[in-house]
Amino acid sequence: MTDNPLEQALTKLTDIQREAVAWNDGAMLVLAGPGSGKTLVLTCRIARLLDEGRNKSFRVLALTFTNKAADEMKERVANFVPGLEERANIGTFHSFCGQVLRQHGTHLGIKPDFAIYSQDDDRKAVLKDALKRAGMDTQAVRYLSLIDRMKTWLIEPKDAVSCLAGTTDAYEFSQAYLAYEDQLRRLNVLDFNSLIFEAHRLFSNFPAIAGWYRRFYPYWLLDEFQDTNEAQYRLLCAMAGQDFKNVFAVADDDQIIYQWNGASFRQIQRFRADFTPQLIQLPTNYRCPPAIVAAANRLVSYNVQRTEAKKPLIAGKKELKLPEHEHIQLRNFDSDQMEAEEIAKEIAARGKSQWGQTTVLARTRALLERMQKALQVQQVPAVIAQRQDNFLSAEIRWLVACLVEIVRPLDRRNLAVLVDAFNRFAEIQASVDQVLSDAEASGVAYLRAWVEAAKREVGDGSARLKLIEAASRLEPASAMKIADEILKEFASQATGNDSDLAEDLAAWNEISNDIRKHFGRNISLDAFLQQLQLRSKAPSPQPDTVTLMTVHGAKGREFDFVYLIGLAEDVLPSFQSCKKGDGSPEMEEERRNCFVAITRAKESLILSRAESYRGWRKKPSRFLVEMGFCQPQTDA
Amino acid sequence: MRITRLSISNFRSIKSLDLELNDTTVLIGPNNAGKTAILDAIRFVLTRRWGQRGTGFTEYDVHLADEHADPKASPGVSIEIRVEEQKAGEWPVTLKQDLGEIIQIDPATEKTSIILRASCAWNEATQSFEPSWTFLNAGRDPFVGGSVRRINLERFWQYLPFFYLGALRDVDDEFSPRSQFWGRLLKAMEIPPALEFKVQRVLDLLNKKLAQADPRLAKIAETLSGTTRVAARDRDGRVDLRLVPLKSWDLLSRAEIILRDEPDWPWLPLQRHGQGVQSLSIIFLFKAFVEHLLTELYEADSAPVLALEEPETHLHPQAARTLWTHIKDLPGQKIITTHSPYFVQHVPFRDLRVVRLTEKGTEVYSLPANFSARIPHVAKLDDVVAGSGRLLEYDRAAETLTVHGKLDKQCYRDLLTCYGTHADRAAIHDDLQGLRDRSLLFIGDNELRALETFARRIRGEIFFARRWFIVEGQAEYLLVHAMARELEYDLDEHGVAVIDAQNNGNPGIFAALARALAIPWLAVFDGDDTGRGYCQSIEKRGFAPAFVATRCRTLTARDLEAQLVADGLELELKTALTNIGISDAATADQAALLDYLRGHKTAYAAELATMMRGNAALAERMPQAFRDAIADLPGLA
Repeated sequence: MTDNPLEQALTKLTDIQREAVAWNDGAMLVLAGPGSGKTLVLTCRIARLLDEGRNKSFRVLALTFTNKAADEMKERVANFVPGLEERANIGTFHSFCGQVLRQHGTHLGIKPDFAIYSQDDDRKAVLKDALKRAGMDTQAVRYLSLIDRMKTWLIEPKDAVSCLAGTTDAYEFSQAYLAYEDQLRRLNVLDFNSLIFEAHRLFSNFPAIAGWYRRFYPYWLLDEFQDTNEAQYRLLCAMAGQDFKNVFAVADDDQIIYQWNGASFRQIQRFRADFTPQLIQLPTNYRCPPAIVAAANRLVSYNVQRTEAKKPLIAGKKELKLPEHEHIQLRNFDSDQMEAEEIAKEIAARGKSQWGQTTVLARTRALLERMQKALQVQQVPAVIAQRQDNFLSAEIRWLVACLVEIVRPLDRRNLAVLVDAFNRFAEIQASVDQVLSDAEASGVAYLRAWVEAAKREVGDGSARLKLIEAASRLEPASAMKIADEILKEFASQATGNDSDLAEDLAAWNEISNDIRKHFGRNISLDAFLQQLQLRSKAPSPQPDTVTLMTVHGAKGREFDFVYLIGLAEDVLPSFQSCKKGDGSPEMEEERRNCFVAITRAKESLILSRAESYRGWRKKPSRFLVEMGFCQPQTDA
Repeated sequence: MRITRLSISNFRSIKSLDLELNDTTVLIGPNNAGKTAILDAIRFVLTRRWGQRGTGFTEYDVHLADEHADPKASPGVSIEIRVEEQKAGEWPVTLKQDLGEIIQIDPATEKTSIILRASCAWNEATQSFEPSWTFLNAGRDPFVGGSVRRINLERFWQYLPFFYLGALRDVDDEFSPRSQFWGRLLKAMEIPPALEFKVQRVLDLLNKKLAQADPRLAKIAETLSGTTRVAARDRDGRVDLRLVPLKSWDLLSRAEIILRDEPDWPWLPLQRHGQGVQSLSIIFLFKAFVEHLLTELYEADSAPVLALEEPETHLHPQAARTLWTHIKDLPGQKIITTHSPYFVQHVPFRDLRVVRLTEKGTEVYSLPANFSARIPHVAKLDDVVAGSGRLLEYDRAAETLTVHGKLDKQCYRDLLTCYGTHADRAAIHDDLQGLRDRSLLFIGDNELRALETFARRIRGEIFFARRWFIVEGQAEYLLVHAMARELEYDLDEHGVAVIDAQNNGNPGIFAALARALAIPWLAVFDGDDTGRGYCQSIEKRGFAPAFVATRCRTLTARDLEAQLVADGLELELKTALTNIGISDAATADQAALLDYLRGHKTAYAAELATMMRGNAALAERMPQAFRDAIADLPGLA
């Protein structure tokens, strides 16, 4: 044996995993079932490429769908090849496009220090201002979601009319779209969808820049390739040009659950047609007990829209902690209320030590909320895990706005957030317009004008003066230090563990530690804020807490004990998919949802259904039938 | 990789400066004009010097508008360098990958470039001048995000290592074991362990033998052992005499250069040779360092940037003249200051930069091959650029329009038309006009090549001159010098170069050169067609007729000889001719006299010049045109 962590990992790989890791030039499609060690394959391959190119300078590009997945991969690569991880650019599609645009966006008139607006409120405000500016009816703000869709389809404002041919307001829409884009540029802002949209525009309009990226990153790895949407796929194609083939995609068409966002098994087909990759299948599942693997195979065999000749999963898990009859169990209840209560009791009975490794999955958030209440009754701590774009408390939102203000001192939208947030928790009535006109009259920065206004408002002797004073000292070099002072001040005020502020403080600590870990202690304020912007502001659950998740949120996760509730027709599969019928793509997606959900379990899977949901009688889910857990019910 | 552009603002004597740098760039100009400031500016961008305490930045480094200005209130020093590929693909891919987070690609030319800005301003919080380095994008906006990481700066410096050889080069320092080149070279030498072992044994043996050679040595050692006894330790220490170095490194560190000039002369250490040889040896030491150690200490693709002050120091003119060839061939980019006309003689015109201190601070003049202006983009511009036959080039990211040569009338008009309805029409038209005016300063490669050949002799001196006096030939040259001296405006003393244009090209090109280098000039030509032709040829180079009229004088008579005769100097001319051995000149009639004079132009002029020595009255009788021109010289701007 060797001490070299990479060599150790490589020796532990199976033959087929090793074959994938050893892949060099040319396109490769790895069809990897759940729990087949795909992250291991990806990280080993990145590490191997870097290790073998020690004296070279090329970088490796790996794109994932979540920052969490990226962070995990970064950590593993750093562990395999310490010191070389800097040459691996591992991130989400969005963060990668952000980097590209910051460095080369100038050719599209995009400045390096653009802000990213991800919240609909911000974006609506931008659109509204844009419409006013263009002298248009502000009712057109309803077009925002259509604008988003246009960007996902990579349609520029000038092409919008022809794409919407036949609709009566196509012209009006295209003008609103144009005004919105102009306004974004004016504010030096991109919204989330612009990231991929503009990066695609950059690569297609300026092939020389795409050419450079191919030389900079001679190897690309794509995680969860099945979830790429139209825009992301075309971005890849634009970046790859005609001849570049070194794309290593890991996918599982049985886990496509973002069909609504444009993901499609056709993307995999397109990839096979455009890049003619070699194919490696990793069907062996090392996560789930054999019974779950068998159920998953039975279930997914009902889907037709999947890669031909795809091998069924093979059970590969060797050590099982529980007796066989506990691997899959089915629970039946009379009503959804009963389901929640009884499952909650069962979880409570498991004891605290297992809660952290227990998850309850459901198709909808409503079911999870009911579950959370039931668990509360049993005094079992539980959180609904979800991405959270913004901090919950006014205090931390104010702090972030203050930091943003130093980086972008002319951002009025941010000033509004700053003023409102502080007003809320300090219970004062400072006016944004007043601050703006003060600043203009006296020629000082917005932040300074606000400091003066806030001081007047809170009055002498207020405890808030300390915060205002700290904000007045903010400047780029010392900002993070002063932010820590402010956080300390907040921490001394936060009572209990369950207030928004306490949660935000925990989330802040976690995120800032993560960022510093991956980007260095001396990260600039600007770069720090960019990272903060891209990350979910939800803190990790406390230890011994049950995690409640929607099936979509569970992707890529694993737990010892998985409860999948609501296995009834019109619930899972959803009402909409049932309406579309059994052979519909929607139904297939629901089946994949179920597939993803059950394959999260490492030791035990508990499926449950109730006779009625929201007072309506529901038949058992067809998926239960397909998995072989109950007989089909005929309409009585 | 090399610096293609350098922009400096608010640094010492420099208010604002923008200059192009070549593979080798030679800065000339009077003392205190700001040459060293330019070299230091490059040093500050490319090294950590500003970041260090003590050696760092002081308030004297900030350019001040007047004596009451407060350096702390200044917007601060800003120094920008741009490195750019000369053609796409010039830089190795590994280098671009290493610097991948800071490079920019021109979408049209596919050329890669990097812009680095160092700035330094007063920081209230830390109460000090704080330096910072930022990479910029092609639009000259600072990067944010990953590009800001310090490692990018360190890497960039690694690829562009900077070396400075100041005017005061000291052999004792430069060849010391701790010096920048010599010391590092010695340290890098690898001695095989077997040899090292052998050397050690030989050294020990040698030491023993030497110590035994004279018994007094052992006694001296014994006496010195008292040291250890006084130190009062339990066990006696020992003092031994080491007569030869202890280790092979000691031996190496004492390595020195010995030279002999002739095969049978004795070898002498470098320090015992003349100053010139010593100074020169340091330049070659740099070459040895780059050739043998640079890639080991830096990257395989590192390209050194050498700032070299006065390479000619202590050198004989002949040596200074040939020095150029050696300097030019030094590896990497060279930025050189010099005061030696001999050195400058072989420097190509395009590589010269004339540095001068004006009321606007330090200014630099050169003979650029292209001219640029910041002009916003409009769609029509692309057509004009495309139709210009490579005369125009446009960088969209930097919004910069470049003219490679003279902007002709049609092209200029087309450009104006592009912005005919633009909101900022007036300002843009002004900028375009400025660009056109500057492009008039363009001197083409062919003309410069001709000058390289013809004007080599004088070009060393004329570039150091403060004013130019253009005349036709050598006779005028001699007479003007003598006249001016007697009229109490010594031309050498006042830095006036008299250019005998016919022998060195033509007057037109010198007028154009003078304009490009902002050297005030005037001219006196013959009164014949040729003389008037010169005036016209100058006008054709874009000088206004009124301006030419004030700067170019012509003699009333057809040539110098006729003018001298017409001015009543027949007697003096005859004396001069007689003095140079033309015995029948004294009796010659006017026609014959003129023939003699024209046949012995330089000789009689030299004699007449000698006759003028101490004879102001004679000088006062010389042709009016010359005397007027000399009187104009002091006020010429």
